[in-house]
Amino acid sequence: MTEPQPPRDAARIAQQDEPALVARVVAGDRAAFGVLVERYAAVARRVARAVLGNPEDADDAAQDAMLSALLKLDQYDPRRPFGPWLLRIVANAATDRRRRRTVRRAEPLDVGLTAGGPRPDTTVERRALGERLRQALAELPERRRLAVVLFDVEGYSHAEIAGMLGLPEGTVRSEVFHARRRLRALLGDWKEEGWKDR
Amino acid sequence: MEGQMKEPLPFDHRPDALLGDALRRALEPGDDGAAFVARVLARAEELRAVSWHAVLARWARAGVAAAVLVALAAGYLVGRAAAAPATRPTVADVLMSPPARGAEVEVVLASVIGN
Repeated sequence: MTEPQPPRDAARIAQQDEPALVARVVAGDRAAFGVLVERYAAVARRVARAVLGNPEDADDAAQDAMLSALLKLDQYDPRRPFGPWLLRIVANAATDRRRRRTVRRAEPLDVGLTAGGPRPDTTVERRALGERLRQALAELPERRRLAVVLFDVEGYSHAEIAGMLGLPEGTVRSEVFHARRRLRALLGDWKEEGWKDR
Repeated sequence: MEGQMKEPLPFDHRPDALLGDALRRALEPGDDGAAFVARVLARAEELRAVSWHAVLARWARAGVAAAVLVALAAGYLVGRAAAAPATRPTVADVLMSPPARGAEVEVVLASVIGN
């Protein structure tokens, strides 16, 4: 059994300078916008991919969201952290794109992987686990998917996620719990083998 | 077992590092992100140019509309001024001038008396 993990502050993005950065962007400083884009590109792409599955669609949605944020920066409240504000836009952009159903289809997974076949013990283990996880995520309701990614991957608190998704905090807690349980069930055979080093 | 995922406590407020790391790897785009950042910044530049042109276009439309309004107003005022009577007689002019219809009244009276 592993001990409960502490909050991974390293996963959080420094926020102290962001009101100043945003003010510079609003004043027309292109370099400041570049700093924000570089800082949040990875998390925006991951969150969009959690919704859309397909990496190309996810990148399109993440780009749309960042440009939308640029146009809406005058609506940003500098007393609040920038990350949740941006990720709310990202999540909405990804959801809108998925609803429009113009998304490219995600590549079909290997039958052996989706059917819960034996754990490969070759160098493709990590890739296979990634595919299994993406498939498992895709089977979750979107809200649940976003909640667990924002909590366990990006390190945001339940309250912050509640703000991003427009949900009560208790609902977010419940969604994270059920998502974790479902992911573990879907990845049962991997769980038995342990996956820390994959 | 070390590294094995465990059943989560209900509503655990602590992120699960094992699950989080695995999900992060699964969702990573697989590149360093430089191309994505460049793409976003390039598109942002395009948007700036488009929005600048849009501002100019709005100003141009507003300018044309304002010029039309000014021209219409000026035309109206000029036309009104041309149609107005030259000058109105003052009260003093009216009192001091001889009655304009005096002769006509006399002619009418004479014709009545003559009949």
